[in-house]
This record gives sequence, C-alpha cells and structure tokens, in this order.
Amino acid sequence: MNIRPFLYTLLFLILAVILSIAVGSVFIPPADLGRILIGWLDRANFSEPLKTFAFILTGIRLPRTALVLLTGAALGGSGAAYQGLFRNPLADPYLIGVASGAGLGAVLAMSINWPYSFWGLLAVPVAAFIGALLTVFLVYTLARVGKTVPTTNLILAGVAFGSFATAVTTYLMLRSTGELHRAIAWLNGGASQAGWEPVLAILPFLAVGLGILVLSGHALNLLQFGDDQAQQMGLPVTRARTLILLAASLATAAAVSFSGIIGFIGLIVPHVIRLWFGADYRRLLPLSLISGAGALLLADVIARSVIAPQELPVGIVTALVGAPFFLWVLRRSKNQGYW
Amino acid sequence: MFRKYLIVLLIVPLLAACSSAQASSATSVPTQPANTLPSATANPAITLSDGLNRTVTLTSPAQRVVSLAPANTEILFAIGAGAQVVGRDETSDYPAVALSLPTIGGYSGFNLEAIVALHPDLVLAGGINTPELVSSLEQLGLMVYFLPNPNTLEEMYTNLETVAKLTGHETETAALVDSLKSRVAAVDSKIKPLSNSPTVYYELDATDPTKPYTAGPGSFVDLLIDRAGGINIGADLFTKWAQISLEQLVVANPGIIILGDSAYGETPAKVAARPGWGTLTAVQTGQIYAFDDNLVSRPGPRLVDGLEALAKLLHPDLFK
Amino acid sequence: MLRVEKLSVSYGKRRVLNSISLEVNSGEVLALIGPNGAGKSTLVRAVSGVVPVESGKISIDDLSRHYELVSLSPMQRARSLAVVPQAASMPPAFTVWETVLMGRTPHLNFLGQVSSKDEAIARLALQKVDALDLSERRVGELSGGEQQRVLLARALAQSTPILLLDEPTSNLDLHYQVGFMETVGTLAHQDKLAVLVALHDLNLAARYADRVALLVDGKITATGTPQQVFTPELISTAYHLPVQVIQHPFVDVPLILPGNK
Repeated sequence: MNIRPFLYTLLFLILAVILSIAVGSVFIPPADLGRILIGWLDRANFSEPLKTFAFILTGIRLPRTALVLLTGAALGGSGAAYQGLFRNPLADPYLIGVASGAGLGAVLAMSINWPYSFWGLLAVPVAAFIGALLTVFLVYTLARVGKTVPTTNLILAGVAFGSFATAVTTYLMLRSTGELHRAIAWLNGGASQAGWEPVLAILPFLAVGLGILVLSGHALNLLQFGDDQAQQMGLPVTRARTLILLAASLATAAAVSFSGIIGFIGLIVPHVIRLWFGADYRRLLPLSLISGAGALLLADVIARSVIAPQELPVGIVTALVGAPFFLWVLRRSKNQGYW
Repeated sequence: MFRKYLIVLLIVPLLAACSSAQASSATSVPTQPANTLPSATANPAITLSDGLNRTVTLTSPAQRVVSLAPANTEILFAIGAGAQVVGRDETSDYPAVALSLPTIGGYSGFNLEAIVALHPDLVLAGGINTPELVSSLEQLGLMVYFLPNPNTLEEMYTNLETVAKLTGHETETAALVDSLKSRVAAVDSKIKPLSNSPTVYYELDATDPTKPYTAGPGSFVDLLIDRAGGINIGADLFTKWAQISLEQLVVANPGIIILGDSAYGETPAKVAARPGWGTLTAVQTGQIYAFDDNLVSRPGPRLVDGLEALAKLLHPDLFK
Repeated sequence: MLRVEKLSVSYGKRRVLNSISLEVNSGEVLALIGPNGAGKSTLVRAVSGVVPVESGKISIDDLSRHYELVSLSPMQRARSLAVVPQAASMPPAFTVWETVLMGRTPHLNFLGQVSSKDEAIARLALQKVDALDLSERRVGELSGGEQQRVLLARALAQSTPILLLDEPTSNLDLHYQVGFMETVGTLAHQDKLAVLVALHDLNLAARYADRVALLVDGKITATGTPQQVFTPELISTAYHLPVQVIQHPFVDVPLILPGNK
C-alpha cells in the first residue's frame, strides 16, 4: 500500500502536537523551550522562570495535548466508519443519537449533588458515557427488523430518539438554572478536567474501539456495494455492521464523555481525506484517525490563543475554520463527485 | 501539491501563536516575590473546611489570591485584602481598582496556565465555578478554597469571616460585619411596623416580553424584596430563576416594576412600549425603575447596599 | 451442478416461492424467465443466501462433492457461488481494479490482504470480459455496459463453480445486451461453470440459454430447452398476452413475437 499518505498525515499530526505544546496563553520563548528540553533530566534544579514553564508544559499542556489528540482521533475515525456504515456523506459520529444521549446523561448527573471526591467527579463523564452507549443500544433495538437492522430505520430511530433526549436535556437545564452554566460549558466542549486522569480513563475504550475500526477497512469497502452484494461476496453483514457500529460508538462515547460535543471533525475530516487520498476504507480509516487528531489539536490551539487569556469553545473553532477549509479543498479537488 | 497545503497548515497556527505571544505579554511569568508576612500577626496554621467539604490548610494568611468570581473579588476588597489579590476573573468589575488586575478567564473558560503563572498561594472559587475547575486546580498543586453560595445574609457574613481568616483580616472584618448588621437592623426597624407592602415585579430577563423571567422563591432577590418591605409576585413560582407569563403578570398587577436587566438595555420607556404591558398599573403610574442587578445577585457585602436601595425604591417616604 | 429442491420462500405471510425445484449443470446456462413479480430475483437472492429460506434444500452436487448451502456461513457460501447483480448505484469512487479485487474476498483474510496469485486471478477475470484496459478507471466514469462487465469480472474473480446473474441486461443497450450474454455463454461452456441467469428479455434467453425455466406466480411451470419452453401456449398463459413463436432465420432458436395472427 502506498505509504505517502501516511507520511503526510503523520507529519501533520506531529506538527500539530508540537504546536499544541509550544503555544498557550503564557508565552514561552523558544529559547527557554530549548533550554527546558536540553536540561530535561536535570529539571528538578531549574530556576525561575524555567521552573514554572516546565510545570506548565508537563502539568497543563502535555495532558491536554494527549486528551485532545485522542478525542480528535476518535471523532475522525468513527466519523469515517459511520459514513461507510451508512453509505451517507452526511453521516457523522452523532448520527444515531450518541451526542444527545451523552448530553442527557451528563445533565442528569449534574442535577445531583455528588460529594466532592474522586468518584463524585467521575459521575458526569461516566453518566455521559453510559448515556451515549444506552442510546446506541436503544436505537439499535428499536430499528431492528427480524434479524437485520436496516440503515434507514437506524437513522430514523436515531434522529427521533436524539430529538427526544435533547428536549429532555433542555428542559432539565431550564429547570435547574444553578447548573445551567455548567451544562452549557460541558455541551459546547472543552470543559474537561486537567491532568492525566481523563486520558487514562478513555484510553482503553479508544484502544478497543479504534483498533476494531482500523481493522474493519475491508469490511467497510464491501459494505459500500450494499448489504446484499457484501454478503454475496462473503461478508457476514449483520455481524460486521453491528461490530463496526459498536466500536465506533464506543470510541465516540469515550471521547465525548470528557470533552463534550465537538462537531465537524467527524464529518469533515473523512471527506477531506477521501478527496485527497481516495475512498479505500483500509486507508481512509487510519488516515482519518490521524488527521482527526491533528485537526482537533490545531483547532484547540486556535481556541486557546486567539483571544487569550479567554478561551473560545473548541466546537466553535472547528466549525468556523473547518467549513471554509473544506469548501476550499472541495473546489480544488479533482475527485469531486467521487465520494 | 501537498507541499503547498502543508505550508498553509503551518502558517495559520504560527500566526495564532504570534498573536498569542503579543496578547499574553501581560501574562509573562512574574518572579516569585519575597514573603512579606508581618510577623506581628503570625498565626498558627489555618485549617478550614470549604463548601465542597474539602479541608483547606494554610500555614499563614494568603498573600497572593486569585479570585474566580466577581462576588469573591468584592469580598476581598471589602475586608481590606485588596492588596493581596493578584488575579481576577473577567467579570469582576467592582471595585473599580480591581479592573487593573490581570484577568484569568471567566464564563467561557478559565485559563489554567494564566492562573499557574501568577503563582497564587490561594485560589478563591465560588458557587458559579464548577467542581471540575476546582479539581483541575487541585491537580496542578494549587490551594483552592470553594466559598459556597449563601442563602441568607447570615451565611454571607460567615463567608466574609471565612475569607478574613484566609487572608489575615479578622479584626477589620468583624467591624465590617457589625456595620452591615446595624445597617440591616436600621432597615428592619423601619419596615417591621408597616402594615401594607407594595407588590413588586423584579425583572431578570425579558428577551421574550410575553414570557419574561423574574426572581422566584429562595433567590436572594426574593429574600431582599421581602426584607425591604415588598411582596415579590414571583414568590409563588417554582424555581429561583422563574418564568412568568404576561397573563399571570397582568393578574398579579404589581405596583412597582424593577428592571434588574437594565444593564442589558431595558429602560422604563421600552417597557411601557411593550405590547400588552400598558394595562399594568405600574406602567400607567410610571413606577418602573432601572436597577443595578449586581447589588442583589452577587453574594457579597453589597447585598446590604442592595437591600437599602430596594427599601428606598419601595418606601421612598421612609428612606431619604 | 447446482440443485434446488422444493425451495419455498415467504415474505411475512405472503408465499413468494412455492416448492421450487431445478438443476443447473456445470457448463450450462439456465435462463430463468417469467413475468415481473413472479419471483425471479427472489430465487436468485434466496439461493445466494441473502433472503431466508422457509423450507427446501439448496446443494452443490458433483462427482467430487456434495454439500448443502443453507447452513453455510456467508464466507463459505461465497466460495461456492458468486452473484452478478444489476449495475445500478455502484460506489463510484472505487477503480475497476479495486472493485474486481473485492471479488477475491472469500479467499482472503479479514483484512483483505491480496497476494500476487489473487492479482493474477483478477487480471485474468478482466481479460475474459475484455475490460483489462479499464483497470485504472473509476467505476463512476464507466458506461452501463462497462459497469456490467466489471461486475461479471468481479464474480469471475470469486472463482466459484456456480454463477448467478440477476437480470444483468435490464439497463443495457441492445449492443451491450448481446455482447454480455455472448460472454456469459462462452465462459460457461469453456470454464465449465453452472450459470443461472434471471432474464426478462425472452429472445435473449432463447438465443443464449442452453435450458430455460419458466417461473410464474412463484411456481416453475416449465423446464427444458428453449424449443420446449418457448411455445405459444406456455408463454401466452404465463404472460397473459397472445404470442407467436417462429423460427429464427439464421440460428436454430425460437423467436417470440407478441400479438395475434
């Protein structure tokens, strides 16, 4: 398989990681950055301001970079999987209600006064995660007809349940105005906790979910021909679709549980990859994963630095920057119409 | 072809990084200042339990405080700890001298790097801050005290005393609390003997004038209106931030309309012009007043100012 | 050979196929004809495993092997029979080469990794349908006839003894219809494939099939050579239309013409 697309996207990711670590509301001069790297092993003996800089790097920027990287990878990868699964260019990871379910879970958890403790603070992300997965399970069960799960049913059930969940969430938010601000912050993305805990918490789910997706490229290719033809070529269609749906939903649920609902990455990144590197899902999936990570990192850098020390919600940046970029790529591409 | 795209991809964030460098030159890292603790008031270790049931310990009163809520900023300055504040959230605008302090974010997100760079020895969080924020600051090794939202004036006095202990201003604060209590008592003494009270509609938000928001039961506004000798028509509603329909408002027919949303551009003239509002007695008699909502919504010492302002509005003959 | 015995299929309460029995021998083309709605497509889909079977047996019966298909997994079944569907709404972004390679799936691992042997088979399949020069073209750019040939190549790349075709000529120009059926016939005879092709064009079936099965209202009403099945009585009854049957002027096959004398 041609290795160049992977080199390009990995390079993009590495640059994005470097930017994410180097840029923040506190300006660290490149010279100091260099000194920190060079004297890394001796860092306990740093004097000011290097000491504070090093602390900011390791305590704030590094864990945040890791969390954003994982979240972007999850969104990019599951976005590509959903588009392949539903054979629909408008599909994104939230198509069958994962976002609404997560939001409902989170807001429900916020309306309860958990004690301030390790487990108490985990209540909201865990509730969001459970809400997301429960929604997928419900929608899947509602959409089932006999032994098959028709695509149209899934989408319709997902949209219907999503609207219901969003309505309940909005009502809850209006009723408990004390938590309104916290709920809005969570829903818009980027309200996550600092430190390595969120990263460690979502890592196993992402490893499983994204691992399955990366190996499902061939199955997704076959599914592009329709369920009948895919089965006639030897794919156990219902089993494959269920597995891919679960894996993508698992990754998305883990991603949103700490980072809230960030749009556009899951929708746009796979399309850009498709326009540049073709529609073979064995390539599209891993490339969307890597590029999703890089794209979200870039968006996060912009969100943090454009109006520093204030921060824009990262979901706004992905839309504002992502949409024009995508339109530009679309017009320049020779692959127009061959999504 | 891809080289061009890569160059574009590099330029955009580099521009962002440069702009952040310029914008944040104000938040360059200050060097750790020498400890200027006056030994005359050397205290034993300060151990308190905060609003989240966390144990907070200081070896000596805090000298570098970052405030995460406007009420906390007001409290710090009111008790005489203004010189010990090194950072504020962006909505802290009182007293005016606080505006010269560096900001560290606010409603749209708090900037952890900026907070860390100020080297605070105490971060004062309030009810409007999320537990996630407190946890994040804890993770970064900072000392955080969560000041819970008071529900009564007494609880507000307790908050003042708490912050006084944290910053080493107990004597001044005791005097401040005494003066606040006597001002409140003065209002009480004039209000208690009254037999009739005007009905009041306190407007919080009227983006949709047919369904505006008012102060409901349990809110501080409700409490203060009652203390100032008024009857809050929102007291029968269900939540602190309660929606009332225009029909209900017409039936309740308040004698006085107080515009807590005047900071958002509502004026008595605009209210009078709202369709359907002309039937209200308060509109016909011109009893519509703009009001500084910060006096009754920020849980700090200015609540007493708010009480006095309300009392003056509701009973102008009693309070000159 | 492919043997179908007393196959019944129902959609809910409605019985669509009623105790169908037929056989397709290796090296022979059996055309399945009948009015629309009779169940031709359903039969092809049931044999290929996409539609559940209510009762009956589908089996491969040869000198060297005999096994039933209904209990097989999709992967195993795909090694025995391949399907050529109608060339409607194919994913336009794949190249011809990528599309044909997907036919190798039942012989690949789940990652779809291809060996040089697989590539050789794919190349051969494209040659047989005379589409090797289209390899690097995107499927979306091709004409209907070219797309249909690509689908045939994909099925051939699957390397199965049995080939099922579901009305492959429905959307093709006459030129492509004839060319396609010629190719199918040649392949069946040369490579000893058992080919079952559902057709709606009676004359095409008469011209290119070795045997014909007439399916009406879910039942087989006649099986035999084209001469035996294409009689005015059988066809008129099946299609509710008076027809004339004459002898083709150049070839020894019947010609069906609608209308009375």
